[in-house]
Amino acid sequence: MHYLIIDKDNWEESLEKLLESHSVFASVENEFGQDYELIRAQDIPSIIYNKPKPATPLKNFFLPVKENVTSDRINEKPRIILGVPNCDIEALSLLDEIYLDTQFNDILYRNRRENTLIISSDCFGIQDHCHCMSYNIKPWSSAKADLAVLGIDGKIILRIISRKGEEFSTLITSAQPLDDDNIISLIEKEHHSTESKLAATNKGLPDYQTTGRLVSDAGDEIWKKFSSSCVSCGACTTICPTCTCFLLIDKPGFEKVKQVDACQYPGFERVAGGEDALFKLHNRFRNRYMCKYVWKPEKFKSIACTGCGRCIEACIGKINKNEIFMELVK
Amino acid sequence: MLNNKNIYKPLRAKLTKVIEESPLIKTFVLVPEKEFSFKTGQFIELSVDGVGEAPFTPSSSPLISDKLEVTVMKTGYVTEYMHNLAPGALMGIRGPYGRGYPVEKFFGKEVLILGGGCGFAPIRSLLYNLIAISDKLRKVTLCYGSKTPEDCIYKPYINELRQTPKFEVLRSVDKAEGNWNERVGVVTILLDDVKVDIENSVAVVCGPPVMMKFGTKKLLEMGYPEHDIYLSMEKNMSCGLGKCGHCMMGEFFVCKDGPVFTYDEIKDQPDIWN
Repeated sequence: MHYLIIDKDNWEESLEKLLESHSVFASVENEFGQDYELIRAQDIPSIIYNKPKPATPLKNFFLPVKENVTSDRINEKPRIILGVPNCDIEALSLLDEIYLDTQFNDILYRNRRENTLIISSDCFGIQDHCHCMSYNIKPWSSAKADLAVLGIDGKIILRIISRKGEEFSTLITSAQPLDDDNIISLIEKEHHSTESKLAATNKGLPDYQTTGRLVSDAGDEIWKKFSSSCVSCGACTTICPTCTCFLLIDKPGFEKVKQVDACQYPGFERVAGGEDALFKLHNRFRNRYMCKYVWKPEKFKSIACTGCGRCIEACIGKINKNEIFMELVK
Repeated sequence: MLNNKNIYKPLRAKLTKVIEESPLIKTFVLVPEKEFSFKTGQFIELSVDGVGEAPFTPSSSPLISDKLEVTVMKTGYVTEYMHNLAPGALMGIRGPYGRGYPVEKFFGKEVLILGGGCGFAPIRSLLYNLIAISDKLRKVTLCYGSKTPEDCIYKPYINELRQTPKFEVLRSVDKAEGNWNERVGVVTILLDDVKVDIENSVAVVCGPPVMMKFGTKKLLEMGYPEHDIYLSMEKNMSCGLGKCGHCMMGEFFVCKDGPVFTYDEIKDQPDIWN
């Protein structure tokens, strides 16, 4: 891991050149907030650096909401996704375990992963429900992204992480090795400041393993109480960077369309004979927590909640999972 | 090393024959466009073009790879379409998926099989396999229950099985009609008639969830250890690949970790009989 530095103007020029050969998506601000958009030359100055976090999770780039999975098409242009927060990068580990599984690897997912360069951005500051640190995830990436891009004092700093990131950096011709200790100190100061804010905001929130135990021990009455304002809309699963359940829909010619599905929808587990283990609302509600904090950790190495807090923001029933955990921990 | 196969694409199979087993159950004889092998107890996703697909454990012998039989009860949207298909139709097959019956663990033992309704389908495939290795088994007892005599499936096969050395068949119906001269009552009453050396035996249960629940309970009461009761679980196996999440049963994907489990593996998971 090492740093490069480049003037912002030169960086933007390099990005513009990359648009000829790549589809570049980056986090920009619009009237609805901050989210990824396909970047055109005129959008480059609006790209946001170091600010948490795009409204939609990274998973949508690899697992579209709906697609025909029986066609073998591959994305034409290589993709660059710029400004990915570390919570979303950590979430990708679970998706890789599921979709790149050696027995049944999903070739569409794999092609997209191989065709995409992921550029992270450190979070300088936090949003209301950010709590990555509660689950031992840093608000900046040092391992799983290809590289990170930071905007500091009119300069762009590149932190090179992977070999793919190293290769990419050769395309940014005017980037120079960073030897200014003041800038490094400034980055570290921002890291510490964000970490302190996260620690202060989420004081007392149980860690991932403790949450698993609390969720596992909670009885029916607790789930009935907490699910009372849930309307089974599935917003929490749709916005979650690690929820990827889906439905296969048959089309003529033995084609199959894969569409996002959610355990929160009635009928998710219903079989033709009528049995439905998730018939009751509180069972569906509990299922999501058990899946994230108890069952997935038993089955997979990667974490199934990265503390992005999007499910709290998206819930129209105003259900705040962190408030639930704080109550359970009492 | 990851392979480049598209895991969602079905193999085409020609429907060559439809056998009416009971008013609600038909067996579809399929010839896949290329050889298709499976282990007994594994399942496939069988599709009707443009309509949908559903999981079934083949009912034919796992030793045959050029032909496949699938026994289907008319229960829902997809199976209703299937029941209207005629020979000549093209169907889609994905699989085989999951973990089947570990028949090598049955060597030297008695096998007690408890089946109900259309749950006989996976059992018939298992029986074909057990017949092929019967020299390694002590005895096989099939206890099979259905609602009425008319609902009993595989009648010619039952007769064959009754002529097979080491194999015994006991049947019951919930409600007797006509000249039924076997047992009347729920299938678990047949277990009262079985003489079995439990210490040298394994039990296999397959059928509707309520039958599986009470069948397992009775086997436990008889003294079967939890790890010697093999259950073929029924969940909403949609993708078959351990990805779509529909068949999650606690920490298990039934499609990938099952569908055959021992009772001790799953007894602590939620809602196993729902």
